[in-house]
Amino acid sequence: MIWVSWRQHRSQAITGLALLCALAVYGLVLGLQMRTSFSNNNLATCLAHSQGVSCPNAVGAFDNSFGSLVNIGFWSVLLLLPGLIGAAVGAPLIARELELGTWRLAWSQTVPRSRWLVVKLAVAAAGLTVLGAAMTLVITWYRAPMDRLTGHFVHNAYDYEGFVFTAYILFAFGLAVLAGALLRRSIPALLAALVPWVAVRIVVEFVLRPHFMAPLTFRQTCPHGCGGGGGNNIVNVPPSTGHIGNLLIKTLNNTGTTQVTSYQPASRYWAFQSIEAGIFVALTLIVLGATVWLVHRRAA
Amino acid sequence: MTHDDTGGSVPALRTTGLGKRYGRLWGLRDCSLSIPPGAIVGLVGSNGAGKTTLLEMIIGLRTPTDGQIEVLGHTAHANTAESLARVGYVAQDHPLYPDFSVADMFHLGQAMNPNWDMALARSRVEALDIVLERKIKTLSGGQRAQVSLAMALAKRAPLLVLDEPVASLDPVARLEFMREVMAQVAGGDLTVIIASHVVSELERFCDWLVVLTHGHVQLVGPVDGLLEEHQMLTVPRATPDADLPGIIIHRDDSDRHSSVLLRTSPATPAAQAHQGWHTETVSVEELVMAYLLRPIKAANSSNSARGAQPSGPITKVMSR
Repeated sequence: MIWVSWRQHRSQAITGLALLCALAVYGLVLGLQMRTSFSNNNLATCLAHSQGVSCPNAVGAFDNSFGSLVNIGFWSVLLLLPGLIGAAVGAPLIARELELGTWRLAWSQTVPRSRWLVVKLAVAAAGLTVLGAAMTLVITWYRAPMDRLTGHFVHNAYDYEGFVFTAYILFAFGLAVLAGALLRRSIPALLAALVPWVAVRIVVEFVLRPHFMAPLTFRQTCPHGCGGGGGNNIVNVPPSTGHIGNLLIKTLNNTGTTQVTSYQPASRYWAFQSIEAGIFVALTLIVLGATVWLVHRRAA
Repeated sequence: MTHDDTGGSVPALRTTGLGKRYGRLWGLRDCSLSIPPGAIVGLVGSNGAGKTTLLEMIIGLRTPTDGQIEVLGHTAHANTAESLARVGYVAQDHPLYPDFSVADMFHLGQAMNPNWDMALARSRVEALDIVLERKIKTLSGGQRAQVSLAMALAKRAPLLVLDEPVASLDPVARLEFMREVMAQVAGGDLTVIIASHVVSELERFCDWLVVLTHGHVQLVGPVDGLLEEHQMLTVPRATPDADLPGIIIHRDDSDRHSSVLLRTSPATPAAQAHQGWHTETVSVEELVMAYLLRPIKAANSSNSARGAQPSGPITKVMSR
């Protein structure tokens, strides 16, 4: 059965590998450039003794040359990527069998269909986990210089490093498998799966994530006025406070000379990654469990 | 010979009071059959008659609402490995994975069936000059049908179910396909159920017949016995139904004469005594058509379980 699942997903596996190679090439080129620039500008020394305060020009220049490639590029291109990867594998898993009529073949062999489905789901999910982890490693490696300036708790980095990237892929996969079983068509299932996926992503990222743990606050006095308030890049986090890498949530109180900001400290990064990945993996299991039940019940 | 005469051995297939309900509608109801081992059964019915429902329950793709199925004496439980192993199945349009090679399909068969006979599968397609490395999508319809059949046979199940196996094939491919089936039956105890619209095909190959209409079994039995029990009678048009010596399955009135397909019992042998009556034997095609054309009311009032015996409730209904 494992061989059967592998054979059915072979071309998808090759596509996934090609995608990973493309990302690795992009990451290698950009990552090496960033590393060269990082050492040429002595950013490491600067960060080490003053957290970047004493060399704002170098920090600004680095951000200018790579910020848009690393961060903006991420938002526009990669935001949907885990969803598309998961849905592209999940949507045809059942729907293709129903489209081709091969469910009659698959389910009339000497393997009960629930076992057939569980093995297929396990093989595909394992493959996606490997792909997700590999992509995460590539992204984490090439982003490393930027992460030293901003930390990896910021949205741009957080969503593509750690555990959550893979968990997003798995959730899209689960949704698409269920959509395929319900809609019986691969392409509509793929599209239908992306809608709840994006919705859940947005709700978790903007509503739940800031409150996975009770936020901390810090108070800032700025005699010359505090300016625009909370943001989440290095320009808005005075490095002197030692808050690089913290996730800023909001400015609570801005009286002009004092500013109170709530934030999640950088040290909670892995706890947050685990909580969020746990949420998505749990949702994935629920959706896949519902699918297995649905397919089993089709016999009745 | 009656329909449940299986020569004392365990029937290859027995269904008792089998029924399947979809919501409030019955797709199949009160279906009782007993098929002896080695029979080649033609299953005929118009679209929506319940053929697919019956086949899917036999294969184990669907759970019956009522009744039960036994394959070689073992009660079938839908969707369990034990039951799935007993039935080989060639689905309509021969579904296979288009990007698999023939060898891949056989590898799948081996991975998914404990009794898989790889030598049989390979020899079947090699005999037909189908190259194992060919992708399924490059095969002709006839070749795909042969690969499907080879897979169903290599499963080594005692019961083989073919759903419209030749409907999509050209005449040569049809002949080749049926020749393969016959060759396999000749070699062992294989029992075959062929659902088909092509009645002429069934006439050539089947020795048993099941006719299904409106979710009920109308006719079941060995072809020879059924042909003996039925006759085509030409009578003057004025002859009332009640005078006819048997159950009227179909009556076709023309200007002066009526042709009537009658089911007679051995007790009422001859109609020759009557002046102007003319008796002929029936063909399988005429027999099947007569049952398919039977009005819903007459068809459903007959108890499907006793469909083959001209007795009991049928007689009462028909002889007004």
